[in-house]
Amino acid sequence: MHLGMVIDLKRCVGCQACTIACKSENGTPPEVLFTKVVEQVAGEYPIIKKKFIPVLCNHCQDAPCEKACPTGATSRREDGIVMVDHDKCIGCRACYVACPYKNRIFIKKGALKTGYFGRKLTPFEQVKYPKWQEGVVSKCTFCVERVDQGLEPSCVQTCPADARIFGDLSDPESKVSRLIRQRGGYQPLSENNTEPSVYYLE
Amino acid sequence: MAKTMPLVGNEFVAGFRLQTEWAGLIAAAFFFGKIGAGLFLMSLYTGSKVGALTGLLIVLIGKGGAHLLYLGRPERFWRGLTRPRTSWVARGFWAMMIMAVAGVIYLAAPAGTAVWWVFQVIAGLSAFFVAVYDGFLMNSSPAIPLWNTALMPVLCLFYSLLGGTSLSLFLLHVGAVGLAIGPDFLANLELTLILTNLIVVIIYLLSMTSATAAARESLRLLLRGPYALAFYSLVIGIGLVFTFLLSYLAGVESGAGVVSLITAADLVGHFFIFFLLLRVGVYSPVLGKLSI
Ligand code: SF4
Ligand code: SF4
Repeated sequence: MHLGMVIDLKRCVGCQACTIACKSENGTPPEVLFTKVVEQVAGEYPIIKKKFIPVLCNHCQDAPCEKACPTGATSRREDGIVMVDHDKCIGCRACYVACPYKNRIFIKKGALKTGYFGRKLTPFEQVKYPKWQEGVVSKCTFCVERVDQGLEPSCVQTCPADARIFGDLSDPESKVSRLIRQRGGYQPLSENNTEPSVYYLE
Repeated sequence: MAKTMPLVGNEFVAGFRLQTEWAGLIAAAFFFGKIGAGLFLMSLYTGSKVGALTGLLIVLIGKGGAHLLYLGRPERFWRGLTRPRTSWVARGFWAMMIMAVAGVIYLAAPAGTAVWWVFQVIAGLSAFFVAVYDGFLMNSSPAIPLWNTALMPVLCLFYSLLGGTSLSLFLLHVGAVGLAIGPDFLANLELTLILTNLIVVIIYLLSMTSATAAARESLRLLLRGPYALAFYSLVIGIGLVFTFLLSYLAGVESGAGVVSLITAADLVGHFFIFFLLLRVGVYSPVLGKLSI
């Protein structure tokens, strides 16, 4: 099995529902976004075209972040999901400069003490923050705890435009494989030979 | 006509993006590693035990300390040794450890014995590795095209040798060491290395003009953007041109004051070139498209 995602840029409306779904599923601290939607504006007023590009860790099959990691904290599961073991991470950020997509995020010292509202953690933050550590690097896991239960990642389930499709890339009959075949799905920055598991459709 | 992608600070907009994590402390670690290893290597050549010990201490305290201060979880630093098979960080870490152990045994062993010879060779090889591995580390990152060039280890090697030579001259002139070779040779070596470094820097920058768009964006920041003043004044002006002119016109025989000035100027240039190369590291736009 090789889990992956297809992102249909024609469908994305830039609502950032996936960004929020990820935040609420993972309860990540301030400034830590595992997924987000970046926008690109072309043309000049009044003829303007806007494109929204959802981004997340591409779970590369030849991941430079994994090779760069001196501790083995970064590893790849059999199903292709690239994980970070926070207990092994020393916070050297070699993976941060190795990831061509800038999808690694360093959890700064103090980030788990103040939360979003400064003085005190909210009840939600108190529940979610124990799974994070300060001084280590983190990233999207394709919502591994949901995937292990047979569910889709939170961003996929939430997307109101059906712009994110999740599935098994190694199965030629899966929806993701068919979409890639039929619509010419491409991997981001494929020239880096990182073999991303995320494909985009234009 | 399609506009090229902008350099964005806002992470919600597509464009070239700066790396922001590796900066001052990593530049300090690279700096101390290179000048310490360079001094150690030069001291093996000149037969100066004080120089070798100073080089070793610069690597251990300067480089080791800067790395420890930088780590998010310094108490787990030993884990950084576990993956030398693929990781340049782990390889560099091992090289430092081997250099420390072999260097101490070499310094403690009676000169001319088999132990002295063996550990001199091991310490020398590991010091050479410490001097150049930063270059391989930066070169191995496909994410930042400015660093992703085989010239990076070459740049590290020549800067390390220059730093080592300047510090050897400095230690000689302040009377801290006696050398087995003549000071004239070191002074000529210094001049040659300054010129070589200038040429390597120019070749490196020229090679980047035909590299990928992200590398050219880095180059723009370095040569025409907000970092240009620091680059031209500190790296080229003080670090290379001033040191060359002072070494050539006044000469190291002008005394300890002039040698101290040459050494200080060289070290300023040395620190800032790698600091600035780290600061102007740029990632490609997220989908690799260069125009909008
Ligand atoms: S996108 Fe970046 S962080 Fe994710 S697997 Fe690829 S290299 Fe690693
Ligand atoms: S920051 Fe952590 S995960 Fe990243 S390379 Fe260093 S040890 Fe590995």
